[in-house]
Amino acid sequence: MFNFVVKYWGFLKFVPGLPHLFDAWLKLWTLITNPKLLDWIDDIEKEVLKRDNTTATTHKFGGLQFNHENKELGHIHSNGLLDMLLNRELKQQLIQQNSRVKDHHSLKNTGWLSFYMETHGDKEFVLELFEMAYKVQMDKTNNKRNIL
Amino acid sequence: MLKAITLAENKGFILSNLFALLIIGLTRFLEPESGILIFSEFVIVPFAMGVISIWCWRKLELKSKTLAAYSCVNVFIAAAMSAIFLREGFICLIIVSPLLMVFTMMGAFAGRAMFKKNNQTLNVSVFVMLFGIFIFDSLSVHHFENKVADTITINAPPAEVWKYVVAYKRIETPGKYWLFRIGMPSPVQSTAEGYYLGAKRKCIFSNGYVFDEKIVTYNENKDLTFDITNQPRDPEIMGHIDILRGQFLLKDNGNGTTTLTGNSWYRLYVFPVWYYDIWAESVTRNVHLRVMEHIKELSEAK
Repeated sequence: MFNFVVKYWGFLKFVPGLPHLFDAWLKLWTLITNPKLLDWIDDIEKEVLKRDNTTATTHKFGGLQFNHENKELGHIHSNGLLDMLLNRELKQQLIQQNSRVKDHHSLKNTGWLSFYMETHGDKEFVLELFEMAYKVQMDKTNNKRNIL
Repeated sequence: MLKAITLAENKGFILSNLFALLIIGLTRFLEPESGILIFSEFVIVPFAMGVISIWCWRKLELKSKTLAAYSCVNVFIAAAMSAIFLREGFICLIIVSPLLMVFTMMGAFAGRAMFKKNNQTLNVSVFVMLFGIFIFDSLSVHHFENKVADTITINAPPAEVWKYVVAYKRIETPGKYWLFRIGMPSPVQSTAEGYYLGAKRKCIFSNGYVFDEKIVTYNENKDLTFDITNQPRDPEIMGHIDILRGQFLLKDNGNGTTTLTGNSWYRLYVFPVWYYDIWAESVTRNVHLRVMEHIKELSEAK
């Protein structure tokens, strides 16, 4: 359903409130079909926020967004879809290692990847991904500081 | 008893539903004759219910799953109150529930984020904005009419089909549409006092509802148009939609078959239309198809 809506109705994401309405609908659907997923998202939030200078906000297109020093690390939609920004090289490695790691559902050929959380084991994998994203962000920040 | 009411969980349910009851009651009191249920009553009120409930639950640190489930419980309570105080029917409540659940959930999660920030200016601004939208919406004109058209091909000439378009004997087969299966009335028979312009026609539904109609266009073997002159007022969906006009158009395909088009015009009394019109179209379409498939069966019978 998510892919169908993104493919055919994706242009509506710019209407204020609509992506959040859709995300609330996803949450209701998740509550019915896989309620534990909502707990895993809570657990991930708790773990990620343990790191310094990380915050959680509402993503502009619905979902929970994690930031490090106001830069987005990634976001999780309420159907368990994680979208994360790494870099192209790291993304390719991950895609080769795990067939469930995909190109971002709309931002192809970028450092963005997508991963659907389905099981409890996926929660641990998502935390590993956030660890990577955090390191990528830290490296970027350090490089910038070195240049300056 | 008092202890139960003051429990934070229960307080979230009670206060938010009391708020909804108060607002809906107030709009009914101020505009008792309109019968229109506006956008705000299905969007702003449940959103505010979500915010109010999470305000009561803010110290409980509820997990997302629990908060989502509590929001659904809140809607069940609101639905039960609507059945009691507004005399809404079961089918209506099934139709409205997904909308209420999503907006109550949105309100609860938005409220959680809002109260975490603990910014009083933001909190007050949100309530003022919601109140502003409610007032603006309440003072706006609400009028929405639409038409639904459906077509089927019948393996019989128009003259044969025409006999059953004006009036048809009772449909004995149960409705296939899921809402008909769970109790929504479906059309079962149509009678006419004659085959002429101005004749009175009746469309009878499965629960005994009768729609009184008057033939306003009688173009034999081509066009039968009728206005609905009287329709039942019922707690179920019938109170929220008026069927204004119906029409059957017959087109001779020149090969012994007829294309039958069923058109219905209706007016909605519930808003937002982007939600309710999906249901209205679906129900109207299934009413059409039930009648038109019956006409097809009768026309094609040897």
